[in-house]
Amino acid sequence: MENAWLIPLFPLLSFLVLLIAGRRLREASAYAGILLTLASLAMSVYMLAERFTKPTFKSESVWLTIGDLKLTAGFEVNQLNALMLVIVSLVSFLVHIYSRGYMHGDERFPVFYAYLGLFTFAMLGLVLSPNLLQTYIFWELVGLGSFLLIGFYFYKESAKHAAQKAFIMTRIGDVGLLIGMILLFWQTGSFEYDEIFASVKEGAVSETMITLTAILIFIGAVGKSGQFPLHTWLPDAMEGPTPVSALIHAATMVAAGVYLVAATFPLFAASETALMTVSVIGAFTAIFAASIGIVQKDIKRVLAYSTVSQLGYMMLALGSAGYVAGVFHLMTHAFFKALLFLAAGSVIHAVHTQDIEKMGGLWKKLRFTAPLFLIGTLAISGVPLFSGFFSKDEILVAAWVHGNKALFWLAVTAAFFTAFYMFRLFFMVFAGEARTHMKNVHESPGSMIFPMAVLGVLAIASGYINTPWFGTFLGDWLVEGNSALGHGHVEGPAWIMIVATLVSLSGILLAYLIYVKRSISRDWLISRAPLTYNVLRNKYYIDEFYGMTFVYGAKAVSLFLRFIETFLVEGLVKTVTVFVQTLGKTGSKIQSGQVQTYGAIAFVGLAVLMVIFALTGGYL
Amino acid sequence: MSNVPVSAFLALALILFCIGLYGALSKRNTVIVLISIELMLNAVNINLVTFSKYGPAPSINGQIFALFAIAIAAAEAAIGLAILIALYNNRKTVNIDEMDQLKH
Amino acid sequence: MNESYYLSLLVFSPLLGIILLAFMSKDSEKSIKLLGFMATLPPAILALMAYVSRLMGKDLADFSERVRWIQFGNLPQMGEDFFTVYYELGIDGFSLLMIVLTAILSTLAAIASFHIKKEWKGYYMLFLLLEIGMLGVFTAQNLILFFVFFELTLIPMFFLIGKWGFFEKEKAAYSFLIYNGLGSAILLIVIMVLFARTGTTNIEALKILVNTANSDLITPLSDSVKYGLLIALLVAFGIKLPIFPLHSWMLRVHVEAPPSIVMLHSGILLKIGAYGLIRFGMGIFPEQFKELAVVLAVLGVINLLYGAFLAFIQKDFKMVLAYSSISHMGIVLIGLGALNQAGIQGAIFQVVSHGLISALLFFLVGVFYERTHTTDISKLGGMAKGMPIASGFLLAGAMASLGLPGMSGFVSEFMAFLGLFEEMPWLAAVGTLGIIMTAVYLLRAVLAITYGRADREFAGITDLRSYEWAPVLVLVGLIVLIGVYPAVLSEPLKSVLLGLGG
Repeated sequence: MENAWLIPLFPLLSFLVLLIAGRRLREASAYAGILLTLASLAMSVYMLAERFTKPTFKSESVWLTIGDLKLTAGFEVNQLNALMLVIVSLVSFLVHIYSRGYMHGDERFPVFYAYLGLFTFAMLGLVLSPNLLQTYIFWELVGLGSFLLIGFYFYKESAKHAAQKAFIMTRIGDVGLLIGMILLFWQTGSFEYDEIFASVKEGAVSETMITLTAILIFIGAVGKSGQFPLHTWLPDAMEGPTPVSALIHAATMVAAGVYLVAATFPLFAASETALMTVSVIGAFTAIFAASIGIVQKDIKRVLAYSTVSQLGYMMLALGSAGYVAGVFHLMTHAFFKALLFLAAGSVIHAVHTQDIEKMGGLWKKLRFTAPLFLIGTLAISGVPLFSGFFSKDEILVAAWVHGNKALFWLAVTAAFFTAFYMFRLFFMVFAGEARTHMKNVHESPGSMIFPMAVLGVLAIASGYINTPWFGTFLGDWLVEGNSALGHGHVEGPAWIMIVATLVSLSGILLAYLIYVKRSISRDWLISRAPLTYNVLRNKYYIDEFYGMTFVYGAKAVSLFLRFIETFLVEGLVKTVTVFVQTLGKTGSKIQSGQVQTYGAIAFVGLAVLMVIFALTGGYL
Repeated sequence: MSNVPVSAFLALALILFCIGLYGALSKRNTVIVLISIELMLNAVNINLVTFSKYGPAPSINGQIFALFAIAIAAAEAAIGLAILIALYNNRKTVNIDEMDQLKH
Repeated sequence: MNESYYLSLLVFSPLLGIILLAFMSKDSEKSIKLLGFMATLPPAILALMAYVSRLMGKDLADFSERVRWIQFGNLPQMGEDFFTVYYELGIDGFSLLMIVLTAILSTLAAIASFHIKKEWKGYYMLFLLLEIGMLGVFTAQNLILFFVFFELTLIPMFFLIGKWGFFEKEKAAYSFLIYNGLGSAILLIVIMVLFARTGTTNIEALKILVNTANSDLITPLSDSVKYGLLIALLVAFGIKLPIFPLHSWMLRVHVEAPPSIVMLHSGILLKIGAYGLIRFGMGIFPEQFKELAVVLAVLGVINLLYGAFLAFIQKDFKMVLAYSSISHMGIVLIGLGALNQAGIQGAIFQVVSHGLISALLFFLVGVFYERTHTTDISKLGGMAKGMPIASGFLLAGAMASLGLPGMSGFVSEFMAFLGLFEEMPWLAAVGTLGIIMTAVYLLRAVLAITYGRADREFAGITDLRSYEWAPVLVLVGLIVLIGVYPAVLSEPLKSVLLGLGG
């Protein structure tokens, strides 16, 4: 494990090589990217295997000295990190392969691969970080990667705005993380995770401070993971190429918020209020985003809202002290959501539109994509035997056991919505007949199918490493040797699993009735509750609200300051200049050209001075 | 000679200076103004010579200064009169009130 | 090597270029530009050699030199040094960094000056004179020598702005001269008071004399006098830095001066303000400085936010960068206001880092202006299509400026806030709003220029030319180097920090 630091360096190398030589390599760039991420993947798998038998490895050296303070940088391979390494490098590797087909013919093909390398480097660096400062550094760098890739089609105004929005919204969260991290530093004297946890355990940090810093760190996670109220950037981020959405905005970066909360979990666990905040925000986001997802018409946006919603689930799990449930869902979600996005990309590649109203009847035409998409849909809907079923069940159990029943029922409702809108999406795209004439619909090339197939297998199989039936292997391993993380498996009432199954099946049934059998009118919601429909369609008008308040607010402050600038500051300057000028003008009037007057004035002045001198005796 | 008090020389210089100053500040005719300036310079010369003879540290310096002043006064008078004549040729006046070309 | 004249050689080496230029025909454009550029190399090489020898463990005190220069009054009974002004040069870690920065930026700005369209001979002579002034400022060991060099930067700068600038160049030049002249006047008063009261202007001697109780002064300095002097210094250097509300001259200079000169102005000359505050304000009056630290921190936060919000609504990219400079100088003040090791080191880092970043950004402004003849944000757009490399570097510069980790801006910003959070958490929390606003205004401006639809033909517009690569690569390289491996700056600073605050 001493060589784990090499893992992020391969993609960095890919970034640098492609930046310099990309123009010459053209589409061969893909091979450079693929090979180097493969190296990362191989090493990550090796690390994971090694971690099963060996204890956590940590290595650090001094990065920055500030007087007596020494800030360190290094890397750590613990259970969570090792798992994340594999997830990230695997998805990244698959996306690298997929993009070769998807981005084929794009004139900025090497740039795309370079950006992918940069992002993968940052993400791998993030998961290897042993301290908050380093986490923050890579945290921002993944933001940069995300920003660049969202804005990849830079000539589109919408892409520009989406990139800008993503960067700024996440930065708002980042500032929370920064403040939390600095406050923790002055409380505990260190940025190191283990030292922070140790002093929290010793009670060296006051209860309020723990709550405050935990919530501030959580704000960082909220920004990155697209949780309410900083979620609006994530759906807009779909302006980026679809492989990017799969890698960054589904599997890895947005999960970084969840990862951060998981990595600092002992801190959260020490404060009930902080946990409460996390779970409430998580549960609310889960249902909130799911409700918006019901009425969206853009295939990628539906998936984006489902991502937001699923991330809410993970937060709910962590907030309910379900460390294992959260991480487990993070993993399964990474696989099935990446699968869904890649499949969606394959659909878009085939029909050249993202509007699901224009699709339909693609089941027969896309022989590979369609079943794979179905696997992903089943997994995310929580249908038994698929991976999402097991991880979602863990979350529900954790929420129930932790005691907040309201949140539990919220989560169940969200599960219903999820099943409904995901199958709405599936039926509208693949079932029935084509609603518009689509010419030249073709299945995607093998380089795109292969990654989807791998993910399809994982979307089914990855659930079985932690089930109540065959053993909770993952959970036990994750919490091994660290009591602060809670138990490997939480026992809950058996009916929860049944309820979850029923809920997801009924969601699927409802979608089937509306979109396939058409026994319920599609316009039911529009005709019965147009207001609700409009609110949902417009995403609760949150963007508009932010536009009205924060954007205009900032503008107003700026204009006010400009007022100060022009009138107060410049005015002051003007006054001084005018004063000096007037003085000069008046002075020049005295200059009459009459030499005798000058002489007289000089003489009088001298006389006055001498009188003063005589009266005061020479001392003033 | 030696029984003339210092104050007498100084008083003479003072009176001479005041006359010169009065003339320089109040006369209209530029020629008289120039003459008045000469008076003031001479008042200064008397002071210089007085102190060089009767001052706290008698030395020849004061008299040398006086010689310098006389030389400069001569030069100044020459230049002053030359300017005056040039001016008179141009403006047909020696009235100092009308010579205000130096104003702002 | 005998070091006793090393610094003099370093400071006055551009003089060689001035002399050679004087003999050139003023029409041979190419050779003048080449010579002007070459003349900036000797100081750059000497500065880098000094830096390397510092890293090798050499004691910087070895570089000091000292020659009797001017004697005021004739009072042998009071001792040899009394009212004597020496010509004395010396460096410590901080000034070494500033010299290296100055030398490198001058070389790069000389390359950027290839864009200059007229009267190259006069331009380069003034340019080199300016470099002498800047190098001298950072090596001067007494206040009078400091003042001489300080003034030496003003005059070339005045002509460089007034002659080679944009449309309202004369106004900007006068504005520059008047404000800075006022600043110098105040500075001169402070220097003279100190000189008259203590009989010396040597900085090290002053540190001891002013701060030892019952020291042997001509007239003792009361506390209120010390406060007065410190506040006067604050105003004098506050104009230079600039501190709100003394900043309006600097906006005009940023907008009207030629970009290559703004590189130096924003990169070095503004930093003299920070340098003066740290060296003289904090060095000579540490106790009074401590009392004023809160004021400084508050001013810093005001600067930070004021600049950021105003940059948000500017239409001219140069204005955005000008306000951004104000905003970033706020971080220097924040660091100084924190007055602990993290804060001061952050402030010094910010001085260096912002020097590099703003030089990079203004260099690119020059590159874009040269091709499009505008810096109006609304008239640019989609430049990434025609000039992908320049746009990429512009984006990199903006990222560095908004404090992206891995680049120098982050390290300095982080340390300044780390320091302030220890002392005044609430104020620091307000200040972090500036971090968000920085991202907002920079992305708004830079994306408006590089992203989006392009409303222009790119025919005939070339991307970076060969000679333009050098400055960009050097600057980006240094920015990333500091961001990734900050020890390059913190190593030489070690001893400085121990002497200050802490």
